[in-house]
Amino acid sequence: MTTKKKIFKIVLIVIGVGILIGGGIGFYMFNKPARDVQNTKTDFSYNASEIVNEYLTDAKKANDKYLDENGESKVLEITGLVSEISTDFNSQKVILLKADGDKAGVSCTFTAETNANAENIKIGDQVTIKGVIRSGATYDEDLEMYENVIIEKSDIVAAK
Amino acid sequence: MKKTILTTLAAVAISLTSFNASAQKLVSSTTHFKFFSSTPAENIEANNFKTVGTLETTTGEIVFSVPMQSFEFEKALMQEHFNSKKFLDTKTNPKAKLTGKITDISKVNFAKDGSYPVEVAGELTINGVTNPVKEKATIVVNNGKVALSSKLNVTLADYKIAFKAGKPSTNIAKTVEVSVEANY
Repeated sequence: MTTKKKIFKIVLIVIGVGILIGGGIGFYMFNKPARDVQNTKTDFSYNASEIVNEYLTDAKKANDKYLDENGESKVLEITGLVSEISTDFNSQKVILLKADGDKAGVSCTFTAETNANAENIKIGDQVTIKGVIRSGATYDEDLEMYENVIIEKSDIVAAK
Repeated sequence: MKKTILTTLAAVAISLTSFNASAQKLVSSTTHFKFFSSTPAENIEANNFKTVGTLETTTGEIVFSVPMQSFEFEKALMQEHFNSKKFLDTKTNPKAKLTGKITDISKVNFAKDGSYPVEVAGELTINGVTNPVKEKATIVVNNGKVALSSKLNVTLADYKIAFKAGKPSTNIAKTVEVSVEANY
């Protein structure tokens, strides 16, 4: 085998491996699974009232702090009193944590995988729920009502 | 004197009651907004279950406030594109809003079960850009429960939503369909 042929062969192998790695990364990126919120480190822990008041005081500042440009927003653990329990159009449990006298609360939506953990929760229970924030509390002039902080991909962390 | 006070109180009570009876604002937090884009390359769908809406049954005024980061896509990468500055910039504009009026609300008898086709005219704000909208909707009254459904065709360029180049620009339709379901 001549040197020229050897070099040619090496170049071919390098290109081949490059294509395989590149293609693999591309394929992985394209099919990348959604972030597993419950296995993501908690960024902040609050009482329901604390996060609601932070948003009602300065929504823009709070959005800067909690929302992510690509939608991978902060993971929160919220402790509060269960004031409403419902089910959404996707059969997911929704628990509203709201203190008496507060203008808004934190609406936490569970998932098909975590619904069962919310099964035994009752109105008036004090619970801690972990999930990803989607939007904050605000007074909406068109709705003429306060909107809750929204947390999704939720699960119960502690209940008593 | 006492009588005057009592009469005044009674008058206030009556006027408050009648005011409440005339202002019938229904609230819905059980909603489903679905974004659907179809191109020869692929179909893309995203679902949102966290929208809050109101319906004023006397004036026909409707409002929906849509938390944009609550749209869930099948593929995480699509969801990132959707939220990114290039597309919907959901960090800057976390909510989209539809405000409108059912122009023929008088056709709907909220006391009688039935399915009522209606017309909605109003404004849709997405990505900080507001455009007029006019669509058909259906109101269903069943056992005192009210539900609304509709389909909106949203032309992305109208809301300054456009990928300049690359895969998303060819794989996302120019006009997407947004279907709306709300139980009040």
